[in-house]
Amino acid sequence: MFISDCRREFYDVIVSQRVLLLVASDVDALCACKILQALFQCDHVQYTLVPVSGWQELETAFLEHKDQFKYFVLINCGANVDLLEILQPEEDTFFFVCDSHRPINVVNVYNDTQIKLLVKQDDDLGVPAYDDIFRDDEDEEEDSENESEGSEPSEKRRRFEEDIIERTMKRRQRREWEARRREILFDYEQYEYHGTSSAMVMFDLAWIMSKDLNDMLWWAIVGLTDQWIQDKITQMKYVTDIGTLQRHVSRHNHRNEDEENSLSIDCMRIAFEYDLRLALYQHWSLYESLCNTSYTSASLKLWSVQGQKRLQEFLADMGLPLKQVKQKFNSMDMSLKENLREMIEESANKFGMKDLRFQTFSIHFGFKNKFSASDIVYATASLMENIEKEEPETTNFIKALDSLSRGNLDKLHQGLALAKKQLRAIQQTVASCICTNLVISQGPFLYCSLMEGTPDVKLFSKPVSLCLLSKYLLKSFVCSTKNKRCKLLPLIMAAPMDVEQGTVIMVGIPPETESSDKKNFFGRAFEKAADSTNSRTLHNHFDMSIIELKTEDRSKFLDALISLLS
Amino acid sequence: MEPAEAEFLAEKELVTIVPNFSLDRIHLIGGDLGPFNPGLPVEVPVWLAINLKQRQKCRLIPPEWMDVAKLEEIREQERKEDTFTPMPSPYYMELTKLLLNYASDNIPKADEIRTLVKDTWDTRVAKLRLSADSFVRQQEAHAKLDNLTLMEINTTGTFLTQALDHMYKLRTNLQPGESSHSQDF
Repeated sequence: MFISDCRREFYDVIVSQRVLLLVASDVDALCACKILQALFQCDHVQYTLVPVSGWQELETAFLEHKDQFKYFVLINCGANVDLLEILQPEEDTFFFVCDSHRPINVVNVYNDTQIKLLVKQDDDLGVPAYDDIFRDDEDEEEDSENESEGSEPSEKRRRFEEDIIERTMKRRQRREWEARRREILFDYEQYEYHGTSSAMVMFDLAWIMSKDLNDMLWWAIVGLTDQWIQDKITQMKYVTDIGTLQRHVSRHNHRNEDEENSLSIDCMRIAFEYDLRLALYQHWSLYESLCNTSYTSASLKLWSVQGQKRLQEFLADMGLPLKQVKQKFNSMDMSLKENLREMIEESANKFGMKDLRFQTFSIHFGFKNKFSASDIVYATASLMENIEKEEPETTNFIKALDSLSRGNLDKLHQGLALAKKQLRAIQQTVASCICTNLVISQGPFLYCSLMEGTPDVKLFSKPVSLCLLSKYLLKSFVCSTKNKRCKLLPLIMAAPMDVEQGTVIMVGIPPETESSDKKNFFGRAFEKAADSTNSRTLHNHFDMSIIELKTEDRSKFLDALISLLS
Repeated sequence: MEPAEAEFLAEKELVTIVPNFSLDRIHLIGGDLGPFNPGLPVEVPVWLAINLKQRQKCRLIPPEWMDVAKLEEIREQERKEDTFTPMPSPYYMELTKLLLNYASDNIPKADEIRTLVKDTWDTRVAKLRLSADSFVRQQEAHAKLDNLTLMEINTTGTFLTQALDHMYKLRTNLQPGESSHSQDF
């Protein structure tokens, strides 16, 4: 059931209860969780936070806690499957689901008692009508049988014949209805996509209760930026949501700030910016950032010698000395930095990079702390999938969560350092995949598989990093290939996951076109292919388009996919 | 006494807040508080004000003296005079610290206020050290300092008494100093 009044139907209900928060491991979920935690702190709500990274963990976490809790809040997980079926909860257990995964499972939508969905209504959800998918006609049949009893024999016979006709009619109707139902459900569930970010939904809740703070607004911004960086939403949706947030930003950040009562420098200020699309450039050198941002490296084709030449030309065109470009951005000459953005944009236009700037926000606090929303997303995401130390996933989760608060600058800086490593690893892998022609066209899709033993292969056994890698790879491949048909194909990427158990992680991403609606059909396709070949797969991840697969089953699974999709 | 204890005492001071919730008068051992009505200013102890502020339940109104013009005047006065001038609040340092840490967004020109109060504090502590020095040098038996605040006394209290203690020991040891065991040193 959709919740229409977030405050009355959600917050006021849980405020006096003990709540279990089940939070998926992505940056948007973390941000939503942060906002909710801040609200809980205001009202002294008792809660327990359990990070979950997949369906299995969700189930075990639920089983572990179901005796102590009646109220469960699921963030960025749970909307796209039938929760009641997989969790088998008691009647008096309630689930509040705030999830950006679409499509939402129809059973969740039409369950009026136990499942409450915190979802923005103005997303076009396209949920099928109730009558089209649910029907209770067993009772009707019983009724008609009861009526036929106790009438005269001759009449009974006539009635009987009529009854048969009626019943066959009914049966045929039912069959037609069922076929239609399947069709409707297929259309509805075929594509997987993402709706409004959970952090924004949570921020709306805080705003409705007029408890919204600048910090919460910042988390909402980071949540949205995460969706954009992970390529989960369309450009249109991003711009619309940025517009919504910008109204909040100007409401929060321009109140009575004049000469007379200026705010303390330690207070956080959020500013709208039309910033460069270069990853982490304010904490890196401009050169490194240009080399490791997917957009610039794909457009300049940096993996080739010619590309490197083009980069030099590009820098020369801007008139930036190499020495300046290669040193820390913070220490670059002030005179160069003054109108750097305009300068870079102008030259980028000449080199065919028309979208080098994008709308985003940044925060300032204190004298030297300035972060762009995308910086935080990269840092937090890489903290969450930190592979440097063998630590349980919860530790990484908590670290990532902490890095979002302003008080933990050291964690954030640690995250930034990790993010740089991650981006470098991605860029190197992309370059080697393209140079050695590892991306193969399989007909209906492109396929690329990372070998065991490739550098950084361990990093890419993690879903978010692998997704980022495949998206960067596809972008670069589209720029490098001359085959026009290949430019329109989606990509499936596989990486070794666990050598001992012999599993690979496989992710499918939609084609990289300008008008792409970011809808992904691989989720269903993977499911069908696995069913038809009896492959040993595991749909553990909340995104259906990420699966784990036994290495031996890989070839038959791919064959089934090819025949399914062509 | 620890500085934390001085701060604890300072938390009993009253400040004005504008709550955004309504609650009847509450009866506590220390006295009655409230009633709270949204938008109506009410006086509460600092500890409650900070708690409410952290939970986004009120807006804080800075004390009257926490104002750039007034603090500038106080600072000038403090610099001009040789003795200690009266402070606007017996807990001025603790309150500035607490309020600026937790409610800096409700205090206009917070950074300037922080600097002014710190300047005043530095001047006063310098004076205090100076007078302690002359007190020891002149081997006075007693001294009287007006207008000192608890926190300021705290900064030199333990140090001064211990120093005097040591000096006393040294002096009393000096008398039989000609005897043999001074060789040990």
